[in-house]
Amino acid sequence: MTLCQLFLQSEAAYACVSELGELGLVQFRDLNPDVNAFQRKFVNEVRRCDEMERKLRYLEKEIKRDGIPMLEIPGECPEAPQPREMIDLEATFEKLENELREVNQNAEALKRNYLELTELKHILRKTQVFFDEMADPSREEEQVTLLGEEGLMAGGQALKLGFVAGVILRERIPAFERMLWRACRGNVFLRQAEIDSPLEDPSSSDQVYKSVFIIFFQGDQLKTRVKKICEGFRATLYPCPEAPADRREMAMGVMTRIEDLNTVLGQTQDHRHRVLVAAAKNIKNWFVKVRKIKAIYHTLNLFNLDVTQKCLIAECWVPALDMETIQLALRRGTERSGSSVPPILNRMETAEEPPTYNRNNKFTSAFQHLIYAYGVATYREVNPAPYTIITFPFLFAVMFGDLGHGALIAIFGFWMCYKEKPLQAKKIDSEIWNIFFGGRYIILLMGLFSMYTGLIYNDIFSKSLNIFGSSWRSNYRNDTLADNKLLQLNPDSEDYLQYPYPFGIDPVWQLAESNKIIFMNAYKMKISIIIGVFHMLFGVCMSLWNHIYFKRRISIYVEFIPQIVFLTLLFFYMVLLMFIKWTSYGPTPGKLGSDDPDVIRTSAYCAPSILITFINMMLFKTDPNTRPQCDDVMYAGQMGLQKMFVVVALLCVPIMLFGKPYFIMREQKQQARSQPLGAGPEGAEGAQAENGAAAGAPAEAPHGAHSHEEISEVFIHQAIHTIEYVLGSVSHTASYLRLWALSLAHAQLAEVAWNMLLRKGLMSMGFQGGIFLYVVFAGWAAISVSILVLMEGLSAFLHTLRLHWVEFQSKFYAGEGYLFQPFSFEVILDSAGQAEE
Amino acid sequence: MKGCIFNIDGGYLEGLCRGFKCGILKQSDYLNLVQCETLEDLKLHLQGTDYGTFLANEPSPLAVSTIDDKLREKLVIEFQHLRNHSVEPLSTFLDFITYSYMIDNIILLITGTLHQRPISELIPKCHPLGSFEQMEAIHVAATPAELYNAVLVDTPLAPFFVDCISEQDLDEMNIEIIRNTLYKAYLEAFYEFCKQIGGTTADVMCEILAFEADRRAIIITINSFGTELSKDDRAKLYPRCGKLNPDGLAALARADDYEQVKAVAEYYAEYSALFEGAGSNVGDKTLEDKFFEHEVSLNVHAFLQQFHFGVFYSYLKLKEQECRNIVWISECVAQKHRAKIDNYIPIF
Repeated sequence: MTLCQLFLQSEAAYACVSELGELGLVQFRDLNPDVNAFQRKFVNEVRRCDEMERKLRYLEKEIKRDGIPMLEIPGECPEAPQPREMIDLEATFEKLENELREVNQNAEALKRNYLELTELKHILRKTQVFFDEMADPSREEEQVTLLGEEGLMAGGQALKLGFVAGVILRERIPAFERMLWRACRGNVFLRQAEIDSPLEDPSSSDQVYKSVFIIFFQGDQLKTRVKKICEGFRATLYPCPEAPADRREMAMGVMTRIEDLNTVLGQTQDHRHRVLVAAAKNIKNWFVKVRKIKAIYHTLNLFNLDVTQKCLIAECWVPALDMETIQLALRRGTERSGSSVPPILNRMETAEEPPTYNRNNKFTSAFQHLIYAYGVATYREVNPAPYTIITFPFLFAVMFGDLGHGALIAIFGFWMCYKEKPLQAKKIDSEIWNIFFGGRYIILLMGLFSMYTGLIYNDIFSKSLNIFGSSWRSNYRNDTLADNKLLQLNPDSEDYLQYPYPFGIDPVWQLAESNKIIFMNAYKMKISIIIGVFHMLFGVCMSLWNHIYFKRRISIYVEFIPQIVFLTLLFFYMVLLMFIKWTSYGPTPGKLGSDDPDVIRTSAYCAPSILITFINMMLFKTDPNTRPQCDDVMYAGQMGLQKMFVVVALLCVPIMLFGKPYFIMREQKQQARSQPLGAGPEGAEGAQAENGAAAGAPAEAPHGAHSHEEISEVFIHQAIHTIEYVLGSVSHTASYLRLWALSLAHAQLAEVAWNMLLRKGLMSMGFQGGIFLYVVFAGWAAISVSILVLMEGLSAFLHTLRLHWVEFQSKFYAGEGYLFQPFSFEVILDSAGQAEE
Repeated sequence: MKGCIFNIDGGYLEGLCRGFKCGILKQSDYLNLVQCETLEDLKLHLQGTDYGTFLANEPSPLAVSTIDDKLREKLVIEFQHLRNHSVEPLSTFLDFITYSYMIDNIILLITGTLHQRPISELIPKCHPLGSFEQMEAIHVAATPAELYNAVLVDTPLAPFFVDCISEQDLDEMNIEIIRNTLYKAYLEAFYEFCKQIGGTTADVMCEILAFEADRRAIIITINSFGTELSKDDRAKLYPRCGKLNPDGLAALARADDYEQVKAVAEYYAEYSALFEGAGSNVGDKTLEDKFFEHEVSLNVHAFLQQFHFGVFYSYLKLKEQECRNIVWISECVAQKHRAKIDNYIPIF
C-alpha cells in the first residue's frame, strides 16, 4: 500500500477516474475536508445527476405502478458515459418525464370525468328508489291523512320540497348526518344508499367506497346551508331532474358518455403503457449510468485544483503490486478522452498509517470477514485468515463430531456452493439466508471436517459403524451373560485381539453402558488440551513474525522468547506427559501378563493422573498417595526436571514484566546523552512534522516512538500485558476444554434423541408399529435438524469463533488498522441497489 | 416510582423522540446554511443532515413554500407516528398538543370566511396536526353560538368554547377575543392535566406552560394598547396558570403603556431579563425573539430529565422553531436579502 499523488489533466480527469472506478483498486483521500458540499467544484454536475436520478425514480415509480417488468441489464454493466453524453441523457429523461406527466394529467382529467359520470349514474339509479317510494300511492294516502285537506290546501306551493343529491365518502356519513341535523335544527330529511362497487380516486388512484345521498329541505335559507355543509364535507353534488322522464333521459345520456370516455381512456392507457414499456427496457441501464457519473463527480470533488487550473491533483492509497494495472487504466482513460498529456502517478512518502488490504477470493473472503469482525488488522500485521481456513472448521468439528449431522451440514454447504451462480443471481433479501449463503464455504468445510471427526469418534446419529470389525470379543458363557447386567472385558486376555481398531474409536465402546462416557471423557479432554496448547503455541509463534517484520528486536528477546518458554515448559510439558502416559502404560495384568513387578509398574494400575501430577509439579510436591508396587514418577529424573521447568518458567515472568520498560529507559538515556543540547525530543518531532507537511500529508506522531511516552505508562502497559499473558495461558488452556464439553453435550443429546424417539419407534411391532415409526421418525428428524444441527451447530460455531478471537488471536493480533475502501463502481451500485429496496 | 414503570409504555417512544431530537440542526449546520447562495445549495446541504432526501423528489427550481411544506410534512409524519404508537395517558397528552393547532385552524377559517375567501383556498393553509372532520364546514356558522352548536360541540375543543358563546357577532375583534379565550381555557386545561399526571412531567411541563401563559398575558397587554378593548375584558383573557398569577396579572390589567408592562416584569427575574435585552432599534432583537429564545432554552432543558412526557412537547416546539429558522434562511437566500439572515434562533 503506498500513498500516491495523481496529476490529471482537467479534460482527461473524468475518463481516468471512470477507468479507476471500473478497476476498484484506488482509495481517494478527501483533499478539501473543510470545503462545504455545495462549494466544491463539480457540485453542478452532481446536482444534475441528482435531478436525473429523480426523474428516473419517477419513471420507475410509474413503471412499478403499472406492474411492467423491468429488464435486467443483459451481460456487461454499461461503462460510465462520456460527459457529453450526459446532455443526451438529460434530454431523453426530460422528454420522457414530460410526456409521462402529460399523459398522466390527461388520464387523470379523463378519470375525473369518468368518476363524475359514474357517480351521476349511481345517483340516478339510487334516487330512483327514493322517488319511487315517494310516488308510492299508499304513502300518498298516509300523507293526505296526516296533513289533512287543510294542509294540502294551505301548503300548495309552499309544501314543495327542494332537494339536492350527491355522493360522499362512506366513512364521512355519520359526521355529515349529525352536522346536518345540528346546523338545520332537524329540518332536513336525508336518505342515503351505498354504492356497492368501489370507485377509483383519480388523484391517488386508490379504491374508495362512497355513498349516494339525497337531502330534502324546504326553503332557500336551508338550501344554502345544506350546500355549504356539503362543500365542507367534500360531497359532490349533481343535478338531478325531478321528473322521471327527464331522469331516464339523463341516464341514457350518461351511459353513452361513459361508453365514449371508456374508449378514450383505453387509448390513453395504451399510450402510457407503450411509453412505460419502452422506458422499462432501459431504465436499469440508465440508473447504472447516472449513478456512475454521479460517483465520478463525487470523486472529482475530492481533488485539488492546481494553481493554473490545468490539472487536478488527487491523493490516493494504492496497492503497491497493482501500480502497473492502475497505470494502464490511467493510460486507457487518457486515450479515451483524447488528451495528449499522460497522467502522472507519483509515490509519496508519508508517516500516516496506510489502510489494510488483504486480497481475497470468494473462498477466503468469508474467513477474512470472521477475522475482520474482531478488528481490522494493523497494517502489515500477520493475517490469521489463511490459518483460520483450516483451524476454524477443525475446531468446530471437534465439538460437532458426528458423521450424520456433519454430512447434513456438508450437503447443505455443497448445495450452496454448487448452485452458487443461480442463487447469487436471485438476490434473496432474507438476512438469515444471506448469512448462510455468505458463509457457504465455511459451512461446507465445517461439514466435511465434522464428518471426519465423526468417523474418528465413530459416531453417526449417536450410533457407531463397525467397518473393520471390532477388536474385542466376549468370551463369557451364555448363562453368565444372562445373569449379569454389567461385565468387564479385560484387555490383557483373549477378550482383546491385541491389535487396535484401525481407524478411530472401537465400535465396541458403543455397547459399554457404564464406562463409555468415562472412556470418551478421558480421551476428549486430553485431545482438547493437546489441540489447545498447539493452537496457542502457534499463535505465539505468529507474534515472532510480527516482531521481525516491525523490527521490534527487543520484543523478540523480552517478549516472544519468555512467552514461548513459559508456555512450553508448563503446558507443552503437560501435553508431553499425556503422550508419555499413553505410550508407557499398558493394561492391568490379567491372564496374559505375568506378575513381574516391571509389568505392574507400567500397567494401568500404576498410571498416574496427569492433572494431579501437574498440580504437584507446580507445588513442588510428590504424590503422597502412590499405590503399592508403583513408582511415584513416570520416568527417571522427573522430579528434578520438573522443578527446573517451573523455576525457569517463573523466571520468565519478571523478564516479560520489566524487560521492555528497562530497554526503553536505557534507550532514552542514551538519546539524551547523544543530544545534550538544543535538539531535544521536541526538535525531532518538529523535523518529523516538517517532513510530513512537505509530503503533503497531515503530520502524525510516528509510530514506534516510545521515547515520547511516559515511562510509567510503559510500565503499566507492560504489566497489564504480562498479567494477561500469564493468567491467560492458564485460563486459555482451560478454555479449550470447551472442545470436550460441547462434544460431550452433542453426543449425549444425540443419544437422548435416538433413545427417546427413534428407538421407541423401531421397537414397536406390526402394522401399527409402522405408522408409529412413521410419526416418530418425523419427530426425530425434526429434532435432529433443528436442535442438533442448527442450534448445536450455532453454539459450536460461536465457541469456535471465541477460541479464535480470544485464545488464538490475543497472542499476536492487534487489530488496530482500518479497511482499504477503494473507489469502485461495483460497490457503489450494489449499495445504491440495496438502499432502493 | 413513576420512573420505574415509565418505560413499559413510554420507553420506546421516548427513545424514538430522543433519537429524532438528535437530528435537530446544530449551530455548525446553520453556519453552513447561511453561506448558501441558492436554494439548491440549501437543499444539497440539508441532504447531509437528518432531513436526508426529503427534497430529492422535488423538481427544480425550488420554492420556499415547497421547502416549508416538506419540512412541515416530515414533522407531522414523525409526530403522528408517535401519536399512533402511544397509549394513555401519553395519547391524551399528545392530543392536547394538537388542540392548539386546532384553535389556530378554527380562527384562520373564521377569519377567512369573514373576508369572503372560499373555503377551498383556506384549507391548505391549515396546519395538518390540527385538522378535524368538521373543520371544512365551519363557514356554516354565523355566530359563536352557532359555531359551538353546529361545529365545535363534537370536537375536543367544546369544553374550552363554553366561555365564548355569549359573544354576539363574528367580527374581527370578537374573533381575536375568541382566540384568546380559547387559548386561555386550553392552556389552563393542559396545565391542569400535566399537574394531574404528576412526577417529572408536571415539573417540566408546568414550567413551560407557565411561561407560555405569561407570554400570552404580556403580549395581549402590549397588543391591546390603542384598541377598543376595555381593561376588564382584557383581564379576562389572561391565562391564569403562569407565574404572573395573581399579582402580576392584576398589575398587567392596570397597565396603560409599554413602560408599565416593563415595570410589572421587573418584579420577575426571568422576564425582566428578557425585557432588558429587547429593544426596538435596528440591531436589537425584538421582545418576541427574546421570548422565542427563552422558550427554546426551556424546551432544551426538558431533555435533561428522563421518564417524562415533556420531551414530546419540547421536541415538537424545537422542531417548529427549526422549521421557522430554515424557512427564514431560505427566504433570505431566495430574496437575496442577506442582511438579516443571521436572525434565526439557534437551538443547540
